Amino acid sequence: MPTRTPFAMPSDADPLSPLDVAADLLTMLRTTTTEPRPDIQLEALTLAVAADLPVLLWGEPGIGKTAALTQLAASLDLPLTTVIASVHEPSDFSGLPIVGDDPAEQGVPMAPPDWAVRLVRAGRGLLFLDELSTAPPAVQAALLRLVLERRIGALQLPPDVRIVAAANPRSSAADGWELSPPLANRFVHLQWTHDHEVVVRGLGGTWPRATLPRLAPERLAEAVDFARRAVCTLLAARPKLVHQLPNSESRRGGPWPSPRSWEMTLRLIAFATASGVSRDVLSLLVRGTVGDGPGLELLAGLDRLDLPDPEVLLADPTAEELPQRGDLRQAVLDGVVAAVRSRPDRARWDAAWALLVRALETGAPDLVVVPATTLASLRRDDWDVPTAIENLAGVVTLSRRADEAAARAKTATKVRR
Amino acid sequence: MSTDTDSALDLDKLFTARLQAARARPYLATALFALHTVESRRVPTMAVDRHWRCYVSPSFVDRTPVEELAGVWVHEVSHLLRDHHGRSDRVARERELTGPGERLRMNIAADCEINDDVFGDGLVKPEGAVEPASLKLPTGQLMEDYLRQFQLGPRTMELAWLDCGSGADGLEREWELGPDGAHGLSEQERDAVRFRVAQGITGRPGSAPEGWRRWAEEAFHPPQPWRALLGAAVRSAASAPGAGEDYSYGRPSRRSAGVPGTVLPSLRRRPPHVSVIIDTSGSVSDAELGSALLEVAAISRAVGGRRDLVTVVPCDAAARIAHPLCRAEGIPLLGGGGTNLRAGFAKALRSHPKPDVVVVLTDGQTPWPGSRPPCRTVVGLFPRHHPRTTWDEDDPDYVPDSPPDWARVVQIG
Repeated sequence: MPTRTPFAMPSDADPLSPLDVAADLLTMLRTTTTEPRPDIQLEALTLAVAADLPVLLWGEPGIGKTAALTQLAASLDLPLTTVIASVHEPSDFSGLPIVGDDPAEQGVPMAPPDWAVRLVRAGRGLLFLDELSTAPPAVQAALLRLVLERRIGALQLPPDVRIVAAANPRSSAADGWELSPPLANRFVHLQWTHDHEVVVRGLGGTWPRATLPRLAPERLAEAVDFARRAVCTLLAARPKLVHQLPNSESRRGGPWPSPRSWEMTLRLIAFATASGVSRDVLSLLVRGTVGDGPGLELLAGLDRLDLPDPEVLLADPTAEELPQRGDLRQAVLDGVVAAVRSRPDRARWDAAWALLVRALETGAPDLVVVPATTLASLRRDDWDVPTAIENLAGVVTLSRRADEAAARAKTATKVRR
Repeated sequence: MSTDTDSALDLDKLFTARLQAARARPYLATALFALHTVESRRVPTMAVDRHWRCYVSPSFVDRTPVEELAGVWVHEVSHLLRDHHGRSDRVARERELTGPGERLRMNIAADCEINDDVFGDGLVKPEGAVEPASLKLPTGQLMEDYLRQFQLGPRTMELAWLDCGSGADGLEREWELGPDGAHGLSEQERDAVRFRVAQGITGRPGSAPEGWRRWAEEAFHPPQPWRALLGAAVRSAASAPGAGEDYSYGRPSRRSAGVPGTVLPSLRRRPPHVSVIIDTSGSVSDAELGSALLEVAAISRAVGGRRDLVTVVPCDAAARIAHPLCRAEGIPLLGGGGTNLRAGFAKALRSHPKPDVVVVLTDGQTPWPGSRPPCRTVVGLFPRHHPRTTWDEDDPDYVPDSPPDWARVVQIG
């Protein structure tokens, strides 16, 4: 028989029970501080929740999805309701029939579960559907209605209820089903990963605190305009991107483009613009809504919308700064030359030369070679060569030296074969 | 190692080389122009960091001919396009490789991956570039594979000075400007550049060599483990409504308690019947058949462990007997010669009880049924690396049909 316990025995002088001491220790362990740290995952999550779009967090079990949700609910001041989707039956989301006195007269109402009633009574809240990917297909079908129409049985969720779901990736969900394409299309998919440094520092007692994006009221109109322009410009040029069911196995269960997800994208761009979050956050959101390929095309389009307008530059070559990055700068110069080609006249041609000289003075010379060659070929017989061209003599030499090097390289690689 | 430390960086020469590189490899022009050059006397030759800055040693530019500099440009930008820093970090984490020696090995392995196919065809291999052959390794492999096959030793002695920067091996150098320095590309911008390059290559596939085309296809859609995909496809086919699941009056529904006096059906799962058609024709190797059988066993577990519900139909030109899987693992995989999967389908669908799911393991060199079978179909497709060796020797241009739309196709291997 053990006569001693590992805890101090209570005595009259020491009224603490062993559990009280344990509680003290637990309290000390729970006391952690936070430090500000940029976290684009959390920013993206917050923005999507603010935009009232259902978010689906993909992540390995145990990496802090629930902790992130708790933090989000606290910072948005919303009560958190967690529902584990995989342990429920379809009827828990579509409602259980309750027979009244006279079914033929009154019908059979579909009663919602208690958590839904509480959520509706509160009028606002964050509904967290955990373990979505391990929910059987019939449950997923019932969830469709909850996520899209926000209805549980006869109950309608109030507009201030936001929905976030979580799922384990197929590689770690041992007996998981995959998400059906219609359900996948209703979510903004965010990959949730852990940062090694954050975890180590957090276990040491300091967790990160993200600054959450705030919408600027004065930028709303501009944001809507920008978002519409961005999405419509892309889809007008690339009709194929409007609707693409996932056709390869590896893309199943993930985001894919459809008119619905494009509308979600439009909303996300507007929210991102109004809150001024970084392109990295927007990139996560857009690629998580319409998929990597269409998302990246949209982002490339946004980059082009940011570039100076060729017509403005032609009207006044000193009007705007040329981008510092070489590939963007070349895109601008190419755009200017293309604008001259589409409507050639003497003044525009001269302005383009002036612009090329400016590009040469402020950046790498090899970027100017192709636009200069193209621009020279646009010359009409009665146009005199502008004096500015003399400044471009170095470019010609550069181009010639590159040609010579290419010729040497050609013979060298031929000999080697 | 530079003695003439006073000489300024010859930007004209450097940019001439970049222009030549962009002309020789037009599909890489966007990436080449996106690099921001930084003069640095600490770097032995040229190096990149993960923020797409390119550090250049002035004396290296001075002593190197333009055409070799062009090769170095393409080499350095390849590190970034192929995400060698991210992949190095992942490998280091997975295999717990620590220390600068391991990072040097990663740099060498990454160089091997690049150098075995980027040079030639108008691009000169720079002096001293590491090639797999100099380490007695085969060509055409990935950095992760090379990393397993060599250790630092006498053969790598002269490579110890090799330094392509953190863009090649993920290890930050003290002479780099770091994430807060000027002119770095954000992650989104880096992805955008890589995407534009990949799009340029897939848009005009004729002009880029095989290695780059494969990179472009996989840059944003890395291949996934086929076992997980096949398992998920079979599971989803076997558990979809109508296959293994239906309403039944055999047991009352949970809802019945709330509705006294009525009998409600409950949703019941019955374990689905799965037929596995295995292509045993001569074009499928024994090793592939072995792994196919292993998968059959795994699939039988995936649908609920009822081995008696899984039937195997070996099939070449004619389908043989259907074997229940419970009759031990010793299913005779007879066959050889050509395939006709139509016979296999007919056989599987005639069996009783009818299958809910048909899984086909084949190399795809077969005629497929003309119409959709009345059950879900999953195709596990063995890759064929040599499309020339078709089964029809009389018609060398014959290309077999790809699996039909109604089947879910998983590439195996």
